[in-house]
Amino acid sequence: MTGVVVTRHNRHSRTWWKTAIGLVLTAIMLFPVYWMLNVSFTRDQDMRKSPPGLFPTDATLEGYRAVVDQQLPYLGTSLVIGLGTVVLTVALAAPAGYALAKLRPRGGGLLSFVLLAAQMIPGIIMAMGFYAIYLSLGLLQSVPGLIVADSTLAVPFAVLIFTAFMSGIPGELLQAAKTDGAGAVRTFWSIVMPMSRNAVVTVSLFAFLWSWSDFIFASTLASGGAHQPITLGIYQYIGNNNQEWNAIMATAVVASLPAAVILVLAQRYVAAGVTAGAVKD
Amino acid sequence: MKHTTQLPDRRPLRDRTGAATAAAPSPARTTARRRPSSQQWAAWGFLAPVTLYLALFYAYPLYRNIDLSLRNYTVRSFVQGDAPFTGLRNYLTVFDDPTFAPALLHTVVFTVVSLVFQYAIGLALAVFFTQHFRLSATLRALFLVPWLLPLIVSASTWSWMLNSDSGIVNAALHAVGIGPVNWLTSPDWSLTSVILANIWIGVPFNLVVLHSGLQSIPAGLYEAAALDGANAWQRFWRITFPLLRPVSAITLLLGLVYTLKVFDIIWIMTKGGPADSSTTFATWSYQLGFGNLLPAFGPGAAVGNLLVVAALVFGLVYMRVQRKQGLS
Amino acid sequence: MNRSAGRRLTVAALTVIAVTAGATACSSGEGGGSSKAADSGTYTIWDPYPQFDKGSAWAKLLDDCGTKAGVKVKRTAFDTSDLTNKALLAAQQDNSADVLIVDNPVVSTLAEAGVLTTTEDNKLDTSAVDPNLLAAGQAGGKTYGTPIGANTLALYYNKAVLKKAGVDIASVKDWKTLTAALEKVDKAGEKGITFSAIGTEEGSFQFLPWLWGSGAQLTELDSTEAVSALSLWNDWLKKGYAPNSVINNTQTTSWQEFASGDYAFAENGTWQLANAEKAGFDYGVIPIPGAEGGNAAAPTGGEFVTIPVQGATDRYTTSQKLVSCLASGQNLLDTDTTLSYVAPTGEVQDKQVAADAKLKPWVDAVKAAKGRTSDDLGTKYPKISEQLWKAVQSALSGSKSPKDALTAAQSAVK
Repeated sequence: MTGVVVTRHNRHSRTWWKTAIGLVLTAIMLFPVYWMLNVSFTRDQDMRKSPPGLFPTDATLEGYRAVVDQQLPYLGTSLVIGLGTVVLTVALAAPAGYALAKLRPRGGGLLSFVLLAAQMIPGIIMAMGFYAIYLSLGLLQSVPGLIVADSTLAVPFAVLIFTAFMSGIPGELLQAAKTDGAGAVRTFWSIVMPMSRNAVVTVSLFAFLWSWSDFIFASTLASGGAHQPITLGIYQYIGNNNQEWNAIMATAVVASLPAAVILVLAQRYVAAGVTAGAVKD
Repeated sequence: MKHTTQLPDRRPLRDRTGAATAAAPSPARTTARRRPSSQQWAAWGFLAPVTLYLALFYAYPLYRNIDLSLRNYTVRSFVQGDAPFTGLRNYLTVFDDPTFAPALLHTVVFTVVSLVFQYAIGLALAVFFTQHFRLSATLRALFLVPWLLPLIVSASTWSWMLNSDSGIVNAALHAVGIGPVNWLTSPDWSLTSVILANIWIGVPFNLVVLHSGLQSIPAGLYEAAALDGANAWQRFWRITFPLLRPVSAITLLLGLVYTLKVFDIIWIMTKGGPADSSTTFATWSYQLGFGNLLPAFGPGAAVGNLLVVAALVFGLVYMRVQRKQGLS
Repeated sequence: MNRSAGRRLTVAALTVIAVTAGATACSSGEGGGSSKAADSGTYTIWDPYPQFDKGSAWAKLLDDCGTKAGVKVKRTAFDTSDLTNKALLAAQQDNSADVLIVDNPVVSTLAEAGVLTTTEDNKLDTSAVDPNLLAAGQAGGKTYGTPIGANTLALYYNKAVLKKAGVDIASVKDWKTLTAALEKVDKAGEKGITFSAIGTEEGSFQFLPWLWGSGAQLTELDSTEAVSALSLWNDWLKKGYAPNSVINNTQTTSWQEFASGDYAFAENGTWQLANAEKAGFDYGVIPIPGAEGGNAAAPTGGEFVTIPVQGATDRYTTSQKLVSCLASGQNLLDTDTTLSYVAPTGEVQDKQVAADAKLKPWVDAVKAAKGRTSDDLGTKYPKISEQLWKAVQSALSGSKSPKDALTAAQSAVK
């Protein structure tokens, strides 16, 4: 009886310092985010106080009032765009990653090469290209248009990540499936995809993050439209000669909160799933 | 047609690696001959969507950027579309520019230092977070929060914190008795400051990708090594590091591409200044093309294309290394 | 191995060429057609005021003007820094807005690009506009639009800080007395002056009153007068009268420093008036002094309303009605009040001063102000301005002396 208590106590005391270190590291990492939060509550006249206040002592909710009044509907748009981007990215990239990693296509190396080059095109040039194309096609200020544009941020990355992860899947497994008479599509769907869970999660995460925080495409392709992502809300506070920083920061806070919650929840689910999978193997 | 010509030089390789060689001669031969071709069809079937996608959405901007760099574009000819073809003259202009040498140096320093620190910190954190302790998953998720912020916000926050007079960093230094540093306004510090902010932004990416990579390493290997008496350090260098190599390689390569391209952070924090002291190719390209009331599209695009070429060179190196590893 | 790699590259090159050829064929095919013909009853207006949303007075004004002209108005707001590129791109695709509102120094660039119609083509009446303001939109003897409002720079001062330092604002008449006042403020333990010397157009905009106030010209950046202007700023920084952060300050950041209540002076614009009222301390405004006394000319800010070139030239008549509606009479007064701008016509300026006496010094400052692209500098201005802000940055950050920095700038312009 006492033995059990001791080991449990031991195990607990053995990991608590790791939690402590983890907390400290996270705090350091998130300090700039805290600073943003701090500024979002700061009155105009205190913004450049020297030395700066560590806490917003004379907090103002002016920034948030402006944001809540004007911006909340755009959160939904951002969510739809983010999820759309994730789906499109995975749908395009996972099969390509599988082919590049396992099917040794002729010209595959070249394709990876083109993917690399594609990522190097400066965002503003991409945005200008899309602008010209969408202007002619009448796709400006449309949600699907923005999903496609945002996916270009993630697709090359996703293909390369899928390739890297899928090349780790043992060849014998795929060979065995083939011997059992499974076709390429079947093998992909019931063996490769379930085994690539980590890659899918990683790719989805970044696809979502990129589209959520995208600014260049949003401002080039969606400004002035009925469906704007939340990041564009920032523009309401960037005047020609004047920027309302507490409202800008408040927009960023409001924009990142729901997504942060999604992240943490997703991460828990994923962590659970990954361990479960590991045990099963 | 392509497939038939390719068969002969492709087959020996398959025979060597594939299990088919051991089978009975005549049926095996026919399947061996057919299989690569059907596999090719399958492979390209899987690749078709992405190829089409690339052609549709990247080709035009890329073409545009190349075209811009090869013609003498003024604002007038940009609109009217009658810019004369000038070959490589824009590139020569760029090479001759006094900004070229410092920009090159800054780009190299910025990229190398950022990459090294991002990767090292990211890997250390990834190893740390693979251990199971309370809140590990939640904290790891929180590390991604910076990525939820548009760069305009995070970069502005950094320049806020690093402000010479009212920044928190100088206030903290003052508290421990160190004089103020002109982080963003001194030519000696500006590059350091933007590198610092860039490392901060890049760490989560490295953490997440490397962490996923670590998850894919079978736990059994560690147990076996532990039984053999390897300590944690040895396990890291003998198991983790080698097995993580493919993921590390792609992380570094992607990191390189993203770092070469970084412009928002630098632009928002220092505008490449003061006196070009934090100008990289990416900010220079933007400065030429868009940072002025009168855009110089040609030279701007030329600098941008130099970056594309640089990334391609590294991509080539990556593929060479990968192929060698694949063969060995 | 090598040979196959080579072959692959050739295939790659061919693929790229084929694909891009396809893409260009597509784009030119689509770009040629005007998508506008279908909706001739809708007129597009682009403005750089994203801060005004759909419910704002500005948006309503645009709708009303549309109704008056018998058309539907579709408004899109862009960030100023984006608008130039958008306008150029749209013109390239033959899809320009019907009415375009842009920052005044951009007008000459767009005119040079052939994007804008002249007042001869579009029959816009600009006779009531103050000539010094209209000059920013003129090039080669032609006028390319009309200003919707103007703003400029002056010195705000904090009465409490000056009182504490024992400075009488009436004593500040030229650079020497201004520097003396700063010295007193510094000795009293307060902060002197803040401005914006950032490496963008904003930095040049803020430096111009000093450059012009020294008697220097934009065409000769390395003159002794110009060097004296830059040395003035440089000395303030060295002596600690101005904070080091000015090198990276935008005009907003600089204003926030002043709003903290610690600074005696701030160089800032008309648009901060509303914020000055909110700052919670007594403030005053004086024109920026010239080197040897008198008032320095400050540059004009503010936007021009222009009518871009269209394929269908019959649209100009309606566009002209829209612009006249926006830029005259009561509407102009309303707009300039919302934007915190000084009106471009004497008649409306008088109404503004009658309504708010605080605007008097600003109206005077705008009357004395000068367009950046005036003197027929036109598209030469952007190049000069870029070198100018670079020189200011080099000098203030200590990497070059004011003289060397300006000499380098002048030779780079040539």
